[in-house]
Amino acid sequence: MRKRTLKRSLAGFWWFTLAFLYLPLAVVVLFSFNASNSAATFTGISLRWYGRLMGNEEILSAFANSMILAITSSVIALGIGCLIGYGMYRHRHRKLGWLIVLIYLPIVLPDIVFGISEMAFFVQIHRLTGLLQPGLVTMIIAHVTFQIPFVALIVYSRFVGLDPTLFEAAKDLYASPVKRVVHFMLPTIKPALISAFFLSFTLSVDDFVISFFTAGPESATLPIYIWGAIKKGVSPEINAIATLMIGAVAIAAIISLVFSRRRQA
Amino acid sequence: MAYTGVTPSARSRGMVREARHLLFTVAPGATWIVIFLVLPSAYLMAVAFMSNGPYGLPEMPLSLESFRRLAGFGFLGWSPGNLYTLLRSLWQTVVSTGLVVVIAYPIAYYISTCRARWRPIMLLLVVVPSWTNQVIRTFGWMNLLAPATPLSELAEALGLINANMGLYPSNFAVTLGLVYNFLPFMVLPLYAAFEKLDAAQVEAAQDLFASPVRAFRHAVFPQTLPGLLAGIVLVAIPAFGMYVIPELLGGGKGMMLGNLVANQFAGGANWPLGAAGAILMLIATFIGLFAMRRIGKRLGGGEEVVI
Repeated sequence: MRKRTLKRSLAGFWWFTLAFLYLPLAVVVLFSFNASNSAATFTGISLRWYGRLMGNEEILSAFANSMILAITSSVIALGIGCLIGYGMYRHRHRKLGWLIVLIYLPIVLPDIVFGISEMAFFVQIHRLTGLLQPGLVTMIIAHVTFQIPFVALIVYSRFVGLDPTLFEAAKDLYASPVKRVVHFMLPTIKPALISAFFLSFTLSVDDFVISFFTAGPESATLPIYIWGAIKKGVSPEINAIATLMIGAVAIAAIISLVFSRRRQA
Repeated sequence: MAYTGVTPSARSRGMVREARHLLFTVAPGATWIVIFLVLPSAYLMAVAFMSNGPYGLPEMPLSLESFRRLAGFGFLGWSPGNLYTLLRSLWQTVVSTGLVVVIAYPIAYYISTCRARWRPIMLLLVVVPSWTNQVIRTFGWMNLLAPATPLSELAEALGLINANMGLYPSNFAVTLGLVYNFLPFMVLPLYAAFEKLDAAQVEAAQDLFASPVRAFRHAVFPQTLPGLLAGIVLVAIPAFGMYVIPELLGGGKGMMLGNLVANQFAGGANWPLGAAGAILMLIATFIGLFAMRRIGKRLGGGEEVVI
């Protein structure tokens, strides 16, 4: 009897927490369709804020910057992180404590310290050499830096999960190391590579603080644009662009659900 | 010995090859992190010990002026502003982490008691909001807590806030934002701990007529401790250095250490002062990590707490 009430109140608490988690997002979505520009009262459905987005050059270029940044940085981080992940696996019997510290550093460093360190560094390098002007390049460098550890750890754990004798078999099968990489290693770690790429991409799109401090005047990404718009005074257009981003996340969530279902089946 | 029958020179050649392999695989990434993260952080730390130049940029000679400024000593004598900011950061971190723990425990437990096929979906539902950009999530709360919204009017009717004030900007809004932001980071490790929970221990406690509180303390809590500690690290450390949430929801009186640091780098303020704040944040981070490891080792018995 007591157990039943416990279970029921837990269920109630669960739904309450879900409402708490989705309420702010729901409000953004709802007001993106608001006919008036009030942020407090809903007066009727309209698509005018979406219409305004289409004509807004700044938003379109911010979107392009976000995509260029996320894809380029993820590709670079995938290459570098993959190498480290394999090196960590192959040489796991050595004492690699320094490497582990190095790899965890970007993860444990608070975002704000990460961001301003990079910014201060880039600014001084630029003053001294004229290279690395704040812009997309500095942002890509900063993003790759925080993506490398995640790629390395994902690839490493995939290798650890493999049967070690597979490597011996591959050695017997393929004489050349290049062939071993192309025909054995890359296909075997493909799932890890895919999930590492998507994680890197998500981390990049999700980041605000580090992008904010390493960005130049021309390289605003969507979150930086939204930040600026909020600071200037809330405009209903923000709701529309935010709703589109929430929609992208919802699609990603559904895809990941379908994939996890298929893996279970 | 794996190398019996191999001449010493071939063996050393093999070792050289292994070393070269290690170099080729690890060097690009290690160099990248050293150049683009270790050097910049080292530079930032050095900046904290320099003097403030005319444009907010660091200059020689070395000095401890920035730490004096951080402690509140300025041209006009001592002011408590920075100290308040620091205490507020600590307070917000402690309160929001505590609230997150209180909410996450029943949620993680409830998910672990549901049918196996529902659990991945429930976890996904908890995590998905954190996939949207932090700025957007915080903007959602700005919409919800602004003056003349239902929540603000309810608070007004209950006499919690003055008329037309709205619930934001305020310290309350910052706490709420932090709890909202970090809840998934606590639910996930706690859920992992509950999933591995040995139910026999809990049943034994119930059979011995332990009260729910005692059963929790002696049977459930020690088993979920590694998850709890991992969650605290994932929540408290980033919460202490949070920038976006206090900046948007806190206003001038809700500033935290992250904002104090960031403001010194925006619009030509005072790099050395900001760098000193960053050092303080790093010290807090490493003390936090170290303390959690120690607590985990002491309370978790032999069980290694992976952080």
